[in-house]
Amino acid sequence: MKIGLEVHVQLPTRSKMFCSCPTEGDAEPNTRICPVCMGFPGSKPSLNGEALKLGLKLAKMLECSIPDTTWFSRKIYFYPDLAKNFQITQQETPVGLGGVYMLGDKPIRITRIHLEEDPGKIKRTSDGSSLIDYNRSGIPLAEIVTEPDISSPAEARKFLASLLADIRHTIDLEPDSERSVRCDCNISVGKERCEVKNVTGLKNVERALTFEVVRQTKILRAGGKIERETRHFDEERKVTTSARKKEFEADYGYINEPDLGTYHIARMASEIENKETPMEMAVRFENDYGMTAKAARQIISTDIRLAGFFEDLAAATDTETAKCLVSGVVSSNWKGFEPTKGSLDDIISMVRRFKEGKITDVECNMRVRCIMTGDEDTCRICSEDLDKIVGRALDENPSVIADYAANEKAANRIIGAVMKETGGTYSSAEIVSAVRRLITERL
Amino acid sequence: MDRETVIRVARSAHLELTEEEIELYRRDLEEILDYFRVLDDAPSSDDLLVNPVEVTDVLRSDEPHMEIPADTLLEDVNTYERYVRGPRVQ
Amino acid sequence: MIDLSKLPAINERYRMFSEITSEASADAEFAFSAKDNLTAVGFRARAGSAILEGYEPVFDAACVEKMRSAGGFLVGKTNMDEFGFGSFSVNSAYGVPRNPYDAERSCGGSSGGAACAAAVMDGHVALGVSTGGSIACPASFCGVYGMAPTYGRVSKHGLIDYGNSMDKVGILSGDAKDLGRYLPVISGEDRRDPTSCNHPPLAKKFRKLKSVALVRSETSAGVDAAIRAAEEELRSMSVDVEAVSMDTLRYALPAYYVLASAEGSTNIARYCGLRYGRQDGDLSMKFDDYFTSMRSQYLGEETKRRVILGTFTRMSGFRDKYYAKALGVRNAIISEYKKIFERFDAVLTPTMPFISPRFDEISGMSALESYRADVLSVPPNLSGLPHVSMPCGYSEGMPVGMMLTADHWNDDMLLSAAEDWQDRFTAIPPEVSL
Ligand SMILES: [Zn+2]
Repeated sequence: MKIGLEVHVQLPTRSKMFCSCPTEGDAEPNTRICPVCMGFPGSKPSLNGEALKLGLKLAKMLECSIPDTTWFSRKIYFYPDLAKNFQITQQETPVGLGGVYMLGDKPIRITRIHLEEDPGKIKRTSDGSSLIDYNRSGIPLAEIVTEPDISSPAEARKFLASLLADIRHTIDLEPDSERSVRCDCNISVGKERCEVKNVTGLKNVERALTFEVVRQTKILRAGGKIERETRHFDEERKVTTSARKKEFEADYGYINEPDLGTYHIARMASEIENKETPMEMAVRFENDYGMTAKAARQIISTDIRLAGFFEDLAAATDTETAKCLVSGVVSSNWKGFEPTKGSLDDIISMVRRFKEGKITDVECNMRVRCIMTGDEDTCRICSEDLDKIVGRALDENPSVIADYAANEKAANRIIGAVMKETGGTYSSAEIVSAVRRLITERL
Repeated sequence: MDRETVIRVARSAHLELTEEEIELYRRDLEEILDYFRVLDDAPSSDDLLVNPVEVTDVLRSDEPHMEIPADTLLEDVNTYERYVRGPRVQ
Repeated sequence: MIDLSKLPAINERYRMFSEITSEASADAEFAFSAKDNLTAVGFRARAGSAILEGYEPVFDAACVEKMRSAGGFLVGKTNMDEFGFGSFSVNSAYGVPRNPYDAERSCGGSSGGAACAAAVMDGHVALGVSTGGSIACPASFCGVYGMAPTYGRVSKHGLIDYGNSMDKVGILSGDAKDLGRYLPVISGEDRRDPTSCNHPPLAKKFRKLKSVALVRSETSAGVDAAIRAAEEELRSMSVDVEAVSMDTLRYALPAYYVLASAEGSTNIARYCGLRYGRQDGDLSMKFDDYFTSMRSQYLGEETKRRVILGTFTRMSGFRDKYYAKALGVRNAIISEYKKIFERFDAVLTPTMPFISPRFDEISGMSALESYRADVLSVPPNLSGLPHVSMPCGYSEGMPVGMMLTADHWNDDMLLSAAEDWQDRFTAIPPEVSL
C-alpha cells in the first residue's frame, strides 16, 4: 500500500498574500475584501514578504533544496469562489524541492513545497444557486507534497500529527488550527491510485484512507480493477464517493504570473535562521543526553517547554538526575502546571538540595510536587518542619506580630531569620507563605 | 486545426460557439498557427521568463490595511445577506 | 474653464469617447482623457466590452490619480478595441471611432479614440495604453505624437489587463511637448504595481538623440516616400542615420501574438457574469454553463478568437512549442536590440506599413492579415522598449508616422527627439467639421 499526501497549511500572516486585507477579524461574509482579492478589473497583486518568508522557513524545515530564483504562475480553472478564475500559485519554481521528513526512524520524502492563494468559501442554497464569501480569498497557503512513502492510514495520521507539530513550532501557528489544515490523499492498494480531495483534519484523513483501503481491497479481491479517479470524502457518512467525471477538461494552462516579477529566494533563505524543530531536538537529546528515542520524543511531545526545562536542570545538576526527575515527578505533574521562571527555579534549587544530600529523594519529590501542584495535603506535609522553625522564630520575636498589623514589612525580619537558619532547604516562596500564614494565625 | 480541437479549446475557455463561429475560428486559427511555424527555428534564451525588464524582489510588508470600505465595494455586486450570489455548484 | 460645449456633437460624428463627463471643469489647468481600460472614479470602465457594462470602479488608476492631482480635468473615457484586442478600433461594443482626416477610415487601434481626441481637440492630453502597438498605430493613423514608455515606467494600477508582461500606459497628443510635460507626471514607482518598482527614474534633463539605426521594411510607396524625406530631415538636424538589418525582428510578430493571447486569455477568464459588470444571467444554471452562457453572449468576436488562440498556445502538449518558446524568442529579440543600442541611440522604422485603411478594406481582411499590420509596432512592445510615433508626412491626404525606439529607460531621449522634430515638421491638422 502506498500513500502520498498533499498538505495545505494556512500561513499565519496578518494580511493576505497579494493584498493588504486582514486575514482575521470580522466573521461576517465579505467584510475583509478589496479589489485585488475580489479580482476586480484594474487591480494588481503584490506579494506579502512574510508569506514568502514563512514558506522558506518550512522549506528549510523540510530540508528542501531552494532554487536561486522563484516566480509565480497562473493556474486557470473556473469556479465561483476563485475571484479571477485563475489561482496564483507556483508551478515551475516552488520555494522548496526534494526534501525529507523523518517520522521517527522512517524518512518520508518531500516532493515539493509551494505557495499559493486560498480561494473564497462557497455555500449552497435551497434554490440551487450559491452564495460566496471572499473573506478567505487570498489567504496564503503552503502546499507540501510527499512522495508515496506512507504505508498505512494510521501512519498517515501519525505523520500529519508530527508534521503539524513541527510546522506549528517553526512558524508559530496557533495550536487549535487543525481544521484549517486540508489534505489531498493519494492512495493505491494495487497498481492504480485514487485521489481523495480536500479532506479536513487528521481524523478524517485516517478515516478517508481506511475507507479507501477497504474499498480498493474488496475490488481487487473480487478480481476487479481500480479506476484512476478523483474522489470526495463525505464527512458525515464517512465514505468516499467518486467525483462526477469532469464535464470540462482540467487543463490548467499554466503561464508565468507577469504582475509580480521574480524573487531571489536562495539569498533570502540563507538569511533565515530556523528554530530547532522538535524532531531535531529529539535527535540531539538522544546524542547529547544518551536518551532513548522514545524517552526523548516523550518529553518533547509533552511540551517544548518541558524539554527546555530538562536542559536547564541537566545543566544545573547532572544528566542522570535531570532524566530521572523530569521523566518522573515533573512529567507526571506537568499537566495543569503553569510553568513560570520562578516556579522552575524553585524546582531546580530543590533538586540541588537533594544532590547536596540535604534532603532525601522522597522529600525532594514531594516538595517538587508541592511547587507544581500547590496540592494542600502535599504542601502541608512538606511544610510541617518549616512551620516548627517559623513558630520558634515567632516565639523568640513576639513583637513582630503587632508590628505586622501596622506594616506587613515587619514579616521580613522573620523571613530573613528563617532563611538564614534553613540555609536554602526551602524556597523563598515557601518561607514567605509560611511566615505570613503563621503570623496571620497569631494576630 | 480541426473542428473538434476548436470545440475542445473553446469549451475549456467556457465559450460555446455556433456552427459558423466554429468554422470561422477553425479557418483563422489554422492560418495563424501556420504562420507561427516560423518560431520553430527562431533563436531563444532563458534570460527573462516573466517580464521584458527585470522586476525582482518587490515585497509588501505584512501590515493589514483596508483602503476601500467593503460596503463600497459591494454596492454594485449582486448579493444576498452580504454573500455574493453565484450560480449552482452541484 | 475648458469649453466642452461642442464635444458631444463632435463625438456624435467621430465616436472617440465612450463616455463624456457631465460636470463642468471649474478651475482645471488642463483637460485630459483616459482610455476606457483605465479606471477612474465617477466613470464607467468597460474597456470596449459589453461584459463590463455596469462596472463603475471605486478607485482611480494610478495615472489618472496623478493627472488629476497635477490639476488635470478628466473629460471622458476614450473608445477602444475590446480589451485592446485590435489594430483598427473596430472591435468595440460602444461604436467605432472615425478618422478625423477621413471618416471612412480607421483611427487605428486599440487606442483609436485616444488618438482621435488628441487630433481633434486642441491642447488635449490623451492617456493611452499599448500592449503591441496600441499607442503608436493610432498616433500614426491620426497624425499625432504617441509615446509608449519603458515597461514598468508608469504604474499599471487601475489598468484593465490585456497582456500583463507588455502592457504600458502612455500619452498621445497633438503637441509633442505634452509628452515631455506629462510623462514625468505619471511616471514612477507605485507599490500597488510591483512591475513599476526598483527601476531607474526618468531623467529630469532630457538627453539629445544623436544617432539612429534605420531598419528598412516593406511598406506602401506613400509611406516609403515620407520616411525617406524624414531620413534626410533627421540628417539635416545632425542626427547620424545608418541603415541596419535586424534578423530577429521577423520572429517578433508571432512571438507577440502567442504571448499576448496566452496572457490575454487568462485575463479574460475572470469575466463570467459574477461580481461586477453584467450579472444578469440565470443563477439556477450549473456554474460551468452559467459562465459559458454569459461569456458567449457578451464577449466579442475578436476577444473570443484571442481567447481560443491563447488557451490553445498554453495547453499541455502545445505550451512548450508556443508559449514557452515565445518567452525565449523575446529574449533573443531583446538581445539583438541591445547590440544595436551599443552603437545607436534609437532604431527608426515607419510606425505602420501603410496609411489608415478604409473600413471596407478592414472588413475584407482575415484575422492574420490584420495581425500583420502590427509588424513594425510590435517588436519594441514585445521587448518592453520605449518608443514614440511622430507624424512625418502625408500620403493621399492621410498622415504617415515614423517610430523611434530607444533602449530600456532611455525614454528621455525620445521625448527630446519628439520636441526637436516638432520644431522642424509642419503638421497639417485635420479639418473637423460639425
Ligand atoms: Zn483584499
